[in-house]
Amino acid sequence: MSETRLDPVTLSVLASALAGIAEEMGAVLIRGSYSSNIKERRDCSTALFDERGKMVAQAEHIPVHLGAMPEAVAAIMRSDPEPGDVFAINDPYSGGTHLPDITLVSPVAYEGEILGYAVTRAHHSDVGGMRPGSMPSDSREIFQEGVIIPPVRLVRGGEYVDDVLDLLLANVRTPDLRRGDLRAQIAANNIAEERIGELIERRSKDVVLAAFDEVVSYAERRTREALRELPDGEHEAEDFMEGDGITDDDIPIKATVTIHDDSMTIDFAGTADQVRGNINCPLPVTRSACYFALRVLLPKDILANAGTYAPLEIKAPEGSLVNARYPAAVVAGNVETSNRIADTVLAALSGFAPEDVPAQGQGTMNNTIIGGSGNGGWTYYETIGGGQGASSKGPGPSGVHIGMSNTLNTPVEAFELEYPMRVERYELRYGSGGKGEHHGGDGIERSVKVLEPATLSLLTDRRRHPPRGVEGGEPGKVGENLLNGEELPAKVGQDLEEGDVVTVRTPGGGGYGSAGG
Amino acid sequence: MSETRLGVDVGGTFTDLVALSDGTLVTAKVPSTPRDQSEGVMNAVNTSEVEPEAVSALAHGMTVATNALLERRGARIALVTTEGFRDVLEIARQNRASLYDLAADRPPPLVPRELRFTVTERMGPEGEISPLDDESLKATVSAVEEAEVEAVAVCLLFAFAHPEHEKKVGEALREALPNVHVSLSNEVLPEFREYERFSTTAADAYLAPRLAAYLKNLAGKAEESGVPAPLIMQSSGGVARIDDAIEDAAGCVLSGPAGGVVGAAYVGALGGYEDLLTFDMGGTSTDVAPIIGGEAQTTTETVVAGVPIKLPMVDVHTVSAGGGSIAWADAGGALRVGPHSAGAEPGPAAYGMGGEEPAVTDANLFLGYLRDGAELGGEVVLRRDLSENALNSLGEKLGLDAQETALGIVRVANAEMVRALRVISVERGLDPREFALLAFGGAGGMHACSLAEELGIETVLVPRAGGVLSALGLAISDLRHDYVRPYLAPLAEVDAGEFEERFEGMENIASDELEGPEFTRRADLRYRGQSFELTVEAEPLEKLEERFHAAHEQRYGYRMDDEPVELVNLRLIATVPVEKPGLDEPAAEGEAVSERREANFDGEWLEVPVYDRERMGEGSEVEGPAIVEFKESTCVVRPGWSGSVDGVGTLVLEKE
Repeated sequence: MSETRLDPVTLSVLASALAGIAEEMGAVLIRGSYSSNIKERRDCSTALFDERGKMVAQAEHIPVHLGAMPEAVAAIMRSDPEPGDVFAINDPYSGGTHLPDITLVSPVAYEGEILGYAVTRAHHSDVGGMRPGSMPSDSREIFQEGVIIPPVRLVRGGEYVDDVLDLLLANVRTPDLRRGDLRAQIAANNIAEERIGELIERRSKDVVLAAFDEVVSYAERRTREALRELPDGEHEAEDFMEGDGITDDDIPIKATVTIHDDSMTIDFAGTADQVRGNINCPLPVTRSACYFALRVLLPKDILANAGTYAPLEIKAPEGSLVNARYPAAVVAGNVETSNRIADTVLAALSGFAPEDVPAQGQGTMNNTIIGGSGNGGWTYYETIGGGQGASSKGPGPSGVHIGMSNTLNTPVEAFELEYPMRVERYELRYGSGGKGEHHGGDGIERSVKVLEPATLSLLTDRRRHPPRGVEGGEPGKVGENLLNGEELPAKVGQDLEEGDVVTVRTPGGGGYGSAGG
Repeated sequence: MSETRLGVDVGGTFTDLVALSDGTLVTAKVPSTPRDQSEGVMNAVNTSEVEPEAVSALAHGMTVATNALLERRGARIALVTTEGFRDVLEIARQNRASLYDLAADRPPPLVPRELRFTVTERMGPEGEISPLDDESLKATVSAVEEAEVEAVAVCLLFAFAHPEHEKKVGEALREALPNVHVSLSNEVLPEFREYERFSTTAADAYLAPRLAAYLKNLAGKAEESGVPAPLIMQSSGGVARIDDAIEDAAGCVLSGPAGGVVGAAYVGALGGYEDLLTFDMGGTSTDVAPIIGGEAQTTTETVVAGVPIKLPMVDVHTVSAGGGSIAWADAGGALRVGPHSAGAEPGPAAYGMGGEEPAVTDANLFLGYLRDGAELGGEVVLRRDLSENALNSLGEKLGLDAQETALGIVRVANAEMVRALRVISVERGLDPREFALLAFGGAGGMHACSLAEELGIETVLVPRAGGVLSALGLAISDLRHDYVRPYLAPLAEVDAGEFEERFEGMENIASDELEGPEFTRRADLRYRGQSFELTVEAEPLEKLEERFHAAHEQRYGYRMDDEPVELVNLRLIATVPVEKPGLDEPAAEGEAVSERREANFDGEWLEVPVYDRERMGEGSEVEGPAIVEFKESTCVVRPGWSGSVDGVGTLVLEKE
């Protein structure tokens, strides 16, 4: 703890400087990365932690990385980090989320003393495992999903640990891209140490360390202020995942949200046990989804750091869908269940602030993975937008990513130049948004014809339980998956013949207010 | 008799004119006329008292196109596209407007659902997949006819490479609707990636009717006054003749900011500074642009009012912080500045027009950087007592006195701008320490030295013509036309003969359109599988690969010598250069220090000299701490900075 107190001006200036460092790390990572998943889709986040492992600034580009970093840093802190080290980790059971998200953690040192940690997380487009792209729809244990990286040093005292890197790269399908992306992550971590050093030279170490503490308590004050404005009470909500890829049964998620004065508790008691398929969530994924729901209620200019989320306590029963135990498969927890957790928590939160929570959006990323063996092998991975829920402020946006993702699509012309496939239709599903005083946003219909034999994985949801409307608004239409016009389940792995057409119709958002009123 | 070149720039409040002949600069400033910008333009010309016969060229920068996009007041237009892909403009790239504000939507598409029509046809990467169906074409043409639109955008898949269907649709529409403007995607932007091409084409159709009406009206007025037909500033930083500007409507959206960047590059280079970061701080926003090797940089990644326009545009980054940004105390007890702005009304508290919250300008006035009682545009008088009241009431909430609050506002505003400057530099692979900071705009000179200190920049330039830099940029802009053609091929397989032929094809077209143009050949390249391109000089073909590797390393920090390189587009820039006169700075006239006043630096009140820039001249020296008052702006020379006026009238400040 620092003894120095900061005035309101220095606080503001240093909060900006620290957020700026996290942003600059993001710019360095995006600039230097090799794969389009990071460079163009920006599936990555960067953050700065203090020496006790508290996050002081984060630049996140997609919400699913919000709450997932502190465990990774804690795991590294237990591994005796030294200045000049860079650790890698992706193990969901010791600080990761799902295996494609590789986190690099570097101690930030000044004159040999560790003052904090620089952290970058990026979604790598292949980390090995049973299917190209490392997003199998049918994994049953974590080992099938890719190479597991416990906290290990990629760099020790400034020197690459080649043995570790070689072992890692031997287990992935595109080692050159991985090497390049990891190098970009290391460069981003390094810029943090450089900038913190410059900041200390301008402002003194005491002031910078005081800023670490104070930006965290400042953000906490702002969250508490926002929570205090909400009524005390308890609201609960329940929702379902539609099958786990093995059975098609409904899997309940239950959230009870309590607000007392300036604190909030989210309790998942009543949620299903972990399942055999791969939609399980390690706790950091659940935490990210809860943080996302909280952020929806907070002022939009709030800083993202440990203080922002300090007033929130999360209770997730161990061994449940939302706090899975080793070695459960988890790859779809991050991309699908996370959305449903956010939906459920937001539904409970609407009991406190009905005007601030819109009707439900599509609640799925419609993960579509198609791969073939022609021309040396290829993999295509896409998430498809849908309808957002309507709110008191207006209709729901159409054809967008909602919830935990916000990545870009692949242009049709780029897609057809690259893959042996053709897009037959890519349009909005007019009328799929729920009716109401304000209509829900419309979903998308995307039809793809494969021009050679291939395999298909679909990880989708909201194919039976539609996104709900609010204040009398009607629900959105459920999504549909079709193969040559015949219906497919929400989660499916399937071989495709040349000429097969896969159609994904994504859900519409719920409406707001009754249509007649 | 010498030739006079006029530049007239329309800004939000004022329309500025620069008349340039033989290195001397005459300026004029008149109020802008937002309803019809051309009135202000002609008022400026008349006010300048330049003889119409002496005018060899009149170049004009305007905000007609920008405003039409921002306010969504363009033409009623229809879209005709490939069946199955009706909603490309609305789906965009699927990303939402705001991560956490779930009610926020993207700006509406330029063509609403009911005006989006389709034809049955399909082109693919290799050419025709299904023919253009005549019945569907007929039906769509009559549907467009009934929709009573002013313009149509025709955007078919793969038309960038295989435009045959798109051309047929265009012909049918032009024949049936002779008075309706038709924009074809293969003509506006023959590049792959459908959303960006459709969006640019729709913007073209949306703006063309408005722009045509405005420019024809202006041309008529110019003719009446006996001055040459205006040349119109393009977003690319070059000017075009009126007919070409109308044909290329989407290329005019950054007509306003482009002049400032070109002017800054020109003034910087005259003084021997070719690598610059321009810093144009106004009332509500601040524009920053890199200039490298004396050239304004262009990008094709610009998004204006939510509409991607993938044409070459000057690379300007806008931060929403300026002199009018309001300071406030947030719920966590921190002092914040912006993004709300006091605007022109009520303006900062010092204006005495009802503003009660302190703005950045109030802090600058309280600290003595601006003069108490100074007149702004003849109507507003700055009152320091009002600023002090506002600073005191904000300070009470934060436990600070007025002075601490004022210093704090300046520090917080600077921190926000430093953050923006750092990130844009890093994104472009630039190190700010290798650049000089060229400050202009009303508030640029007041903050420049502080920002330079934070960024490690050692030279600050404040040009004499800082208040009219955009108009000056117009007066010296080259006539320019940009061309692009797709050429998707592995670089190793490109045939030198065909490469040459394709460029010559573009050059022949350019030679028909411009008189005696000079050419710059460029090419867009990428590593195989990458989803973005880099543009490099295209001659000679053998050097292309190495140039691309080097450009990639500069921009992204690494190169992949073993990766195959792909050619994506050929670009031609055709220019008709204008002679760039020098600027003469007269010698100083007598004593330049007009007064001494108290100003606060880092908490200490010092009595500092105030220089009148009008009485300074070549060689006049300044040593900080000092204040230099320009005609329309103020420069704060912080302690530790000193410098002098150079031969072209730029105040060059160096850090000790």
